[in-house]
Amino acid sequence: MVAAGTTGLVAGALGLLGALARSVVPDVLYEPPRRFPVGRPGDFPPASATFVSERRLFVFNTPEGFYAISAVCTHLGCNVNHEVGKGFACPCHGSTFEEDGRVRKGPAAWPLPRFSMSLSRRGELVVDTRRTVGADFRLKA
Amino acid sequence: MINDIARRLWLSVFRVGWPRTRQTRVEAMLSSFVLHVHPTWVRVHALRPTYTLGLGLVSFYLFLVLTVTGLALMLYYVPHPDAAYRSMKDLEYAVTFGMFLRNAHRWAAHGMVAVVFLHMCRVFLTGAYKAPREFNWVVGVLLLLLTLALSFTGYLLPWDQLAYWAITVGTAIVAYFPVLGPQVRYLLLGGHEIGAAALLRFYVLHCLVLPLAMAFLVALHFWRVRKDGGLSAPPGRLHRRVLAWPHLVFRELLVLVLVLVVIHAAALLFDAPLEEIADATRTPNPAKAPWYFLGLQELVRYGAIFGGVVVPTGLVLALLLLPYLDTHPRGVGVWFAPERRTANAVFVAIALAVVAVTIVGTFFRGPNWAWVWPW
Repeated sequence: MVAAGTTGLVAGALGLLGALARSVVPDVLYEPPRRFPVGRPGDFPPASATFVSERRLFVFNTPEGFYAISAVCTHLGCNVNHEVGKGFACPCHGSTFEEDGRVRKGPAAWPLPRFSMSLSRRGELVVDTRRTVGADFRLKA
Repeated sequence: MINDIARRLWLSVFRVGWPRTRQTRVEAMLSSFVLHVHPTWVRVHALRPTYTLGLGLVSFYLFLVLTVTGLALMLYYVPHPDAAYRSMKDLEYAVTFGMFLRNAHRWAAHGMVAVVFLHMCRVFLTGAYKAPREFNWVVGVLLLLLTLALSFTGYLLPWDQLAYWAITVGTAIVAYFPVLGPQVRYLLLGGHEIGAAALLRFYVLHCLVLPLAMAFLVALHFWRVRKDGGLSAPPGRLHRRVLAWPHLVFRELLVLVLVLVVIHAAALLFDAPLEEIADATRTPNPAKAPWYFLGLQELVRYGAIFGGVVVPTGLVLALLLLPYLDTHPRGVGVWFAPERRTANAVFVAIALAVVAVTIVGTFFRGPNWAWVWPW
């Protein structure tokens, strides 16, 4: 009797608590897509770095092609500011990054990631923040 | 006739008349639901304001003030990014006494963080965590953590720039914890970024989960004070005792009056800040966490693992284990007992270091977290 009662109690508690624990892990995210167009190649002047604020990244247009660098500081998630030729600086804890995204001065430990870019059929530059790429990545457009 | 009904009503509720004699003063403490948290007789030692500084009591009163003002704010506050900031503006401009209630809630919350911290310092410096009070110290540490968690979750709710970036920094620190950090952050935010899901989760934690946990642990904390033999006192001495009614009860009410006066004054004189609406595209410079985490933010500057994980985890573990590591039985019940010189010196040094980095982070850090002089 006691064993049956204990089993029932434990099973009942585990069922409820397990369901509760699982339910707080969201299965569907109502968040902006992580692969998105940022504009046409012509929107970005030659030899420029453009802050796409709503996507929190920079699009660089160089003679060799386009590339995208994240604006989210790898330290604690603030937006870094960019100055042409000087690199990036984070306003929260003072990390600075080279023009290519490498860490110049901590506390950030990792470089700003670069995201994969492609050209859509409609001729728009598309960034995929789920896929990071190396420093040699350039998109000819 | 009316008198008779009033008398019977009174007696049906309180069982005894107004406590005037020793007999009814004892009965009042025993028969009242609220008052029986206290013993009928208390040591004079426990009543000395210079011993306790009333800090635990003030913490509890601030929690009550926060509960009442928080309930009022809940009637207008809508936890959704589209509406949250607007409801803050409503509270400021379109609700009679809305600003006053928000101010009171804000300053009581800041006050509670400070007072709970000071209460912990008092308990340490009087050696009050020693046997048989070890477990109540642990409960107290949990209450300190709950206070910080309540304050932190409440910080996001106004959905202004201050809130958004403070929580950005705070939850990014969480993600540095080894193994589970990123998953905990994902659960806390209900996604990858601070959006509608995160705001709702913080709201539920702030208004329901954490206050319930707090109420339970406060009750346990009080109950253990009684069960562990009342407030700590020097052992071996013959302690004079007095009746809790009126000596303890009226002192407590006096402290309540003082707390309410200070909260009213603060809420009338100083407005709680509300910056522009949260904007994920614009990081203010400098972006600062809530002030009680600015020490952490200052340390995080020297390395996120060191400042965000090693130091806070080490401090919390040290606090939780303290009464089980320090088994030296002497020096209980007096401030700065000579037998405890080393322990007190170490504690004061650490507490001062915490205060110092917090002050540096609050007043001496400007744009790009560079050093600035506050004057």
